[in-house]
Amino acid sequence: MNFNEKDLVNGCKQRNRAAQKQLYDVFGGKLFAICLRYTKNRADAEDVLQDAFIKIYENIDSFRNDSPLEYWLRSVVVNTALNHLRQQKYLKDLDDIDMHHNGIADREITLGNFQMQQLLELIRELPTGCQTIFNLYAIEGYQHNEIAQKLGISEGTSKSQYARARSLLQQKLNKEKRFDDGSVRNKQL
Amino acid sequence: MMDPSEINNFEDQWRKAFQEASETPPQSVWEGIEAHLDKDDKNTIVPLWWQSPKLWYAAASIAAILLVGAGIWFLKSGEIHNKANVEIAADRVPESNGDSSKNLPDQTGKSEVQDNALAVGPNKKTDSLVKPDSKTNTNTERAAFRNSSQHFLAKSTSRNKKSTAAADESQKIINPSSISDSERSLLATTDVNDSISEITGQQTLVSSQALAALPYSDLEVHFQKRYVFFRPESNTEEAVKPVKNKEYWAGLGLMPASFNPDLKIKEAPLAFTSNSVSNRKSVSGSSQPGASYAIQTQGGMRLSKHWSVELGVSYLQGNSSYEGGGYVLSAKNYRSANVLENAFADLSSNPNTPNNSYDFLNGGSTYIDVSKTVSNNYQYLQLPVQAGFTINPDKKLSYSVLGGMMANFFLSNDLESASGEIITTTASDDIYRHVNWSATTGLRFNYRLSSKWKANLTGSYQKAVSSGFRSNQNLDLHPVLYGVSWGVRYSF
Repeated sequence: MNFNEKDLVNGCKQRNRAAQKQLYDVFGGKLFAICLRYTKNRADAEDVLQDAFIKIYENIDSFRNDSPLEYWLRSVVVNTALNHLRQQKYLKDLDDIDMHHNGIADREITLGNFQMQQLLELIRELPTGCQTIFNLYAIEGYQHNEIAQKLGISEGTSKSQYARARSLLQQKLNKEKRFDDGSVRNKQL
Repeated sequence: MMDPSEINNFEDQWRKAFQEASETPPQSVWEGIEAHLDKDDKNTIVPLWWQSPKLWYAAASIAAILLVGAGIWFLKSGEIHNKANVEIAADRVPESNGDSSKNLPDQTGKSEVQDNALAVGPNKKTDSLVKPDSKTNTNTERAAFRNSSQHFLAKSTSRNKKSTAAADESQKIINPSSISDSERSLLATTDVNDSISEITGQQTLVSSQALAALPYSDLEVHFQKRYVFFRPESNTEEAVKPVKNKEYWAGLGLMPASFNPDLKIKEAPLAFTSNSVSNRKSVSGSSQPGASYAIQTQGGMRLSKHWSVELGVSYLQGNSSYEGGGYVLSAKNYRSANVLENAFADLSSNPNTPNNSYDFLNGGSTYIDVSKTVSNNYQYLQLPVQAGFTINPDKKLSYSVLGGMMANFFLSNDLESASGEIITTTASDDIYRHVNWSATTGLRFNYRLSSKWKANLTGSYQKAVSSGFRSNQNLDLHPVLYGVSWGVRYSF
C-alpha cells in the first residue's frame, strides 16, 4: 500500500480526519483479525476494534517513530482486548491446570493444509483462558513471565494454561485432519 | 516432555499462519469511531468549562490556597496585634507607678522585642528613633533622651545658646543617674496616650538641635524601623455559610381536568314530595363529570433541599352534567322544573330565585319520571396551599409529591333547567357556601430547562372535605377533580 507512515502518524497527531481514516483503512483489517482471535464472537471483536482505534487516535501523541507503527498498533489492540476480557470477567480465576499426559502423542501436523478461518475457529473454541494465553504466547510472542504480569497470574498458571491450549489444539487438529482425510488412518494410540 | 524444537515449530507455524491475517471490519465500526471522534471534536471546539473536571480541580486548588493563605495572614496579624497590646499594657504598669527610680532598672531588663512592640503603637513613632547599642540599657537611655528633650526645650525657650548645652545633654544621656527627680517625675507622668502630640513636637525640635550640636563621633547611630499597621476587622472571618437552599419561584399552568361535583339529592324536593301523583320521597339521579379546566398561578418557596411550600390562585371551570331525577309540570302555568331546580328553590331564601317551588305545590302539578341530562357547571376561585417533597431536587428531572388543602371560593353555578334555560346561581344567592375546603394531593415531574426555568407536569387529585351547600339537609355537593396540569415556573 502506498503511504508514508510518518506522514500518516503526523496527520493523526494533528487530528486530521483523512489521516485517521487512512490509518484505519490500512491497518483495520489486520487489527480486526487480532480482535477476532481474542474474542468469542464477531460482535465482541468489533467492539474491541472500535475501542482500540479510539485509544489509538487519542494516544497517538505518545507514539514515537522509534518502533514500527504496526507493532505499536498491535500492542494497543491486544491490551484493549485483554481489558475487554477482564471487564467481561472472562479472565477471572484462571487456575493451574494439572496436565496429565493422556498418552496421546502430539503428532505434528502442518498447518499449511488449513485455512486461516479454520484455525481461527479452533482458537476461539478454546476456553477463554487458554485462548488468551495461547494468543499471547504462540502468536504475539510474549514470554510467560510477561503474560503472568499482564494478566495478574502466576507464571506457572500461564504455562499450564498454554500447555492445555496446545494439547486441545493438537487434538482438534488431528480430528479435523481425520475428517479431511475421510478416514481414521491417523488413529491415535 | 515435548521437544523444544517441536514447540518452536508448532508456535512458528501458528505465528506464520496469523502473521498476515486480515479480515475487513464492517462499516459500522468506522462509523462508531467517527461518531466518537466527532463528539471529541465538539468538546474541543466548544469547551464547556463547567463540564471539565480539570478546571474544577484547578479552581478548587486556587480557592484552597487563597483560603489557607488568608487564614495564615489573619492569624499572624492577629498575633502581632495582640502581642503589641500586651506589651504596651505591660510597659504602662511601671509608668503609672510613682516610684520612677524603680522603673528604670526594671525596664532595662526588657528585651528589644518589647521595644519593637512598643513602637507598634500608632502614637509612639518617636520611640523608635532610639536604637541602643546595648539591649540592657535600652530604656535607661530612652528615658535619658526624653529627659534631655525636656532639658533642651527649656534651654531653647530661654534662648540660651551656649555650646555647653550639648555636652550637658550628652552627659545626661550617658549617665542615667544624673536624671533629676523633677525630670523623672516628668517622664513618669508623660503618658504616652494623653500627651503624645505635645511630646512629638518637642522631640522633633530637640532631635534636630541635638544632632547639630554634637560632633559626628559622638553621635549615636539610630535606626528607624517602619511598621505597617494592619488591623483586621473582627467580622471579616465569618463562618462559611451552608449552601443556600432557599429558592422562590412563580409558576403558570393550565390543567385539563375531569370535574365531578358529586351532587346528591338526599331528600326529594318539596314539589316532588307534595306531588299528588308521585308522592316521591326520594329521587334517583347522579352527577357525571365533564371536561373542565383550571388556569393556575402559583408561587413557591423551597425551604430545604427537599421540602418546599407553595401557594396558588386558580380559576376552575368545572363542567358536569346531572342525569335523572325526572321533573314536575305545573298545572298553573305549564312550566316544568327538574329535580335540581326544585331542590335549589327549596334551599333559597331569596324570593327572586327562579322557579319557586311553591308554584308547583297544590296546583295539580304532574310528576314526569323521565331521565334527562342537564348541564351543571361551576366556577370556583381556588387558593391551594401545598407542601412538596422533591426527589432529585438538583437533577435535570425531579419528582415532587404534593399534598395540602385548598380553599374553593364559589363564584357561580350554571344549571340547565328543564325548559333549557340556564339558571345562574351566584355566591350572593346564599345557596352555595362562599368557601368550601378540599384536600389536594399530586405528583409532579419537573424538567429543568435552564437554571431559571422549569417545565412541569402535575397530576392532581382534589376532593372536597366539606359540602358546597350552605344547608346540608337536602343537597350535598362534594366535588372531586382529577387533572393533569402543564406548566412552567421561573426561579428567582
